[in-house]
Amino acid sequence: MEDRPCALLLKFPGTNCDAETARALEAVGFVTEVLPVSALKPEKLVGVSLVVLSGGFSYGDYVMSGRIASLVTEQKIGATLQDFRDNGGYLLGICNGFQILTQLDLLPSGSLVENASGRFQCQWVKLRKLAPDSPFLAQLPEEFELPIAHAEGRLVTKTPEEAEAYVKGGAAALVYADDVNGSFGRIAGLQDESGRVFGLMPHPERFLRKRDHYDPDWTGPEEGEWGSGYWLFRSLYQAIVEADSDS
Amino acid sequence: MSDPATLNPLERIAEAPADHYRVLKISDLEGDALVELSQFMKLSLSREDMLAIQAIYREWEREPTDVELEVIAQTWSEHCKHRIFGATIEHEGEGGTETVDSLFKTYIRDVSQRIFDRKPGFVLSAFHDNAGFIQLDDELAVCLKAETHNHPSAIEPYAGANTGLGGVIRDILGAGKGAKPIGSLDVFCFGAPDTTADQIKADDVIHPLGVMRGVVRGVRDYGNRMGIPTISGAIQFDDSYIYNPLVFCGTAGVIPIKDIEKKIEPGMKVVAVGGRTGRDGLHGATFSSAALDTESHESDQQAVQIGNPIEEKKAADFVLAARAKGLIEFITDCGAGGFSSAAGEMLEECGGTIDLDQVKLKEPGLVSWEIFISESQERMVLAVKESSLPELRKLADLYETELTELGEADGSGILKVTHHGRTVCELDCTKLHDAPTRHLKARWTKKTAPVEPPVLTNPGQALRDLFTDFAIVSREPVIREYDHEVQGNTVLKPLAGASGDAPQDASVLRIEGSRRLMAMSVALLPEWGKTDPYAMGAACVDECVRQLVAAGADPERIAILDNFCMGNPDAEEELGALVETVKGIAATAEIYGTPFVSGKDSFYNYFQTKEGPVSIPVTLLVSGMGIVEEEGHVTGASLRRTDSLLAIIGHTSADLGGSVFARRHGLENAPVPATRTEEALSCYRQYHEALKKGYIRSTHDVGEGGLATALAEMAFSGKAGLEIDLCSLPMDDDASKAAMLFGESPSRLVIEVAPEHLAKVADLFDGLPFAALGRATSSHANLRVEWGKEILLDEALSDLKTLWKTGLARYY
Repeated sequence: MEDRPCALLLKFPGTNCDAETARALEAVGFVTEVLPVSALKPEKLVGVSLVVLSGGFSYGDYVMSGRIASLVTEQKIGATLQDFRDNGGYLLGICNGFQILTQLDLLPSGSLVENASGRFQCQWVKLRKLAPDSPFLAQLPEEFELPIAHAEGRLVTKTPEEAEAYVKGGAAALVYADDVNGSFGRIAGLQDESGRVFGLMPHPERFLRKRDHYDPDWTGPEEGEWGSGYWLFRSLYQAIVEADSDS
Repeated sequence: MSDPATLNPLERIAEAPADHYRVLKISDLEGDALVELSQFMKLSLSREDMLAIQAIYREWEREPTDVELEVIAQTWSEHCKHRIFGATIEHEGEGGTETVDSLFKTYIRDVSQRIFDRKPGFVLSAFHDNAGFIQLDDELAVCLKAETHNHPSAIEPYAGANTGLGGVIRDILGAGKGAKPIGSLDVFCFGAPDTTADQIKADDVIHPLGVMRGVVRGVRDYGNRMGIPTISGAIQFDDSYIYNPLVFCGTAGVIPIKDIEKKIEPGMKVVAVGGRTGRDGLHGATFSSAALDTESHESDQQAVQIGNPIEEKKAADFVLAARAKGLIEFITDCGAGGFSSAAGEMLEECGGTIDLDQVKLKEPGLVSWEIFISESQERMVLAVKESSLPELRKLADLYETELTELGEADGSGILKVTHHGRTVCELDCTKLHDAPTRHLKARWTKKTAPVEPPVLTNPGQALRDLFTDFAIVSREPVIREYDHEVQGNTVLKPLAGASGDAPQDASVLRIEGSRRLMAMSVALLPEWGKTDPYAMGAACVDECVRQLVAAGADPERIAILDNFCMGNPDAEEELGALVETVKGIAATAEIYGTPFVSGKDSFYNYFQTKEGPVSIPVTLLVSGMGIVEEEGHVTGASLRRTDSLLAIIGHTSADLGGSVFARRHGLENAPVPATRTEEALSCYRQYHEALKKGYIRSTHDVGEGGLATALAEMAFSGKAGLEIDLCSLPMDDDASKAAMLFGESPSRLVIEVAPEHLAKVADLFDGLPFAALGRATSSHANLRVEWGKEILLDEALSDLKTLWKTGLARYY
């Protein structure tokens, strides 16, 4: 039996960040399977500690980003995924994966709509973590940088107050330091009440190593070669390993 | 039956009426009737071509089918056959008259072949496949291909550019046994964003801003959805591109060396993968072999295809998985000419049968020729062993793409196409390769003349003025629309430096599975070509190579691509400019040892306006890929430290021609600086030595806007101010201040080095043009340039950067 925890990455038609996300998961210690969604069935979640929805444009995102992927997921493994979460499983959605998670109702309600700029935005952003005990963020500093690349990353809630409540109550685990896309409360990432489901628009898998930073002289707070994105996956890996050894 | 007088040229000669194909009785037709038929069928074949076809069929003692004529038209089209690059051209240049027997053979292929021989093992494949491959390391090879999609983008900017990128990505997927696309480039030429309505002298022409927005979004929506980072590019603005915008799209790929060679053998199955076939994209290949006019905007829309990147993404996932499992024997993409060129390319030597009844259609009722030449997007054609089919079907299901068995290779040497139980095409393809050679005339006379050097009363104002020019302003609004970091391998990003928004010379990609990296860059200088196309050719090769070397590529391991666009090849002056350009690139590439591994050309970029035809200037894009030995060699173009010293490599000419400064100051005909190729190559080699020793902190090439602009751009990282003195600048004795600050002599690099390394670097450049320029400073944030005791520039970098960053942002 393999000791390392297993991650399952779902690949929809149009998912395109699967390779580098799998590379990041492997780098921190996960055994990772990239599974085309056509082969997805409930049994595939057996023995899996983490389900990952990576970036891309699932089914083209022509209807509403993440909508069709969420319906397909629901239809194939809907109930199993709920059980997975309830029984201690972890779920990570990055960019399009975050959009899919919001459509799956696995996160506090909100929608990711077109950026206030009306544009696709590929740039690096400063982020602040508001949930210091999130298993996804534990090893990251209060403020760090990651790249974003999305046209529909503006998080809106039914009322601005609802977003403010997320910010105050900790559901908004991650916020932008500046207003980059018009998100209510500058929310960049949301977690559920268990803390085990987390979605974010920025791409940690693109900042695995310090050398991936746009500034060749960037050093960051940590020793060694790894960048902020690495520490997000590494935090998660350690949380899962510790949770497994507790149980 | 209707009155013969009302019949069209095709109906008059159609025999054996069948609802899905027709036999056309051409053997008795006169030349005029043949031309009429070619025009009616939109074959874009000349009188000579039609007569040659008639002769071939007389020899075969039969009449062609409409399918066969369409196939021949595709095969012989300029788009597919490059007949102007293969033509015999009588050229009258500065040095007398010469006869060029094929520009391609003389100046591209033969030059490259000599370089291949000098560098055995470096180029692994060139000219015959979808893209040329060079060796990355012992296991892997990289390739690059660039295409134009000009006519479709003029008529329908979004869809034209969208499918332009989609098409070149398929070229990579169809290169070798299926290369993995890893990065894209896009280069555009538009009319100026502030073009006024009265400057547009024809109806139904889309305003340059509309073209630009549509084109950028088209590239964005295809590249981003495919998950291929768009990392390199350029935009040129000139009034001559109002009617004929140019859209170049390129993609790089990586493949295991063992998967480059592909071969089709009798018994193999031919299968199609990906999207379905429809009426979209009929006659794209022949349409792009003719000029545009107002009517094109109405009648040729059928030639522009509709893109569906997710369909292509699924096909790409399938192809890469199938290649990794060793299930692909041969693969090519369905591009111009659709199945007819894909199957033709595949079966041209082996021969085989294609059954059109098997083709999955978007809509019912397509006749044979429509199915066979449709350029519907997102289709790949593969040859596979029959025993591999079950596993391939499983993979197609896994990645949710459609796989259809179309036919098989049979070793007969004959391309046979059946439909509804009949043979609708039966051609010996080897007989079709000899399209009649065209004979053309070309001439070029010098367009430059000595000019009085301008008196530079206010250099600061001149520099600020340059930073508002569309040629120089930041492309940031466009670059940020492209995902340039997907795949997580973009080490040197198009915008970088401490502030993350400073311009870079080349982009560098890490390659999964190798410790080596690949740099990519592009160069085009259409302004130079207006007066001195030979100098343009030389300088484009130089700039592309220089940018790659600056970013860390080994100067011995660079390969380049040539993409040409021009107006009317039958106009002698225009063709003459092309010949001169080709001679310029050939001479320079041969000295640099940078072979051409692929290239493409686009003609008929002229437009019939109310005031006569408007042609684009001969426009050359040189794009290149270079091998970077290790990640430590990757070098950005942004100033990094406050204690650094700066130095310049390369000679500054007195000639201002071709520069942005010259254009803005009415000196369009000033002589254009020549490329000092031998000296430049020595400089690049020595620079690379300095880089390998770790002496180089950053490097920026001197390009549009000249030295002053390059220095400011370097300092846009926000790290430091600059104190520069030009008193020891290596230059012509008669170089003016304008030439020193704003001239665009090629082959120059500004380097940033640590104080303790400057003497060692200077030693490396002994006998070459090299000089210390000054230093970085933390005491101010200005660009301060002196010449002896005279202060030429003292400009706040933040002001210059604001001009530079907002110039295009206002329009896009």
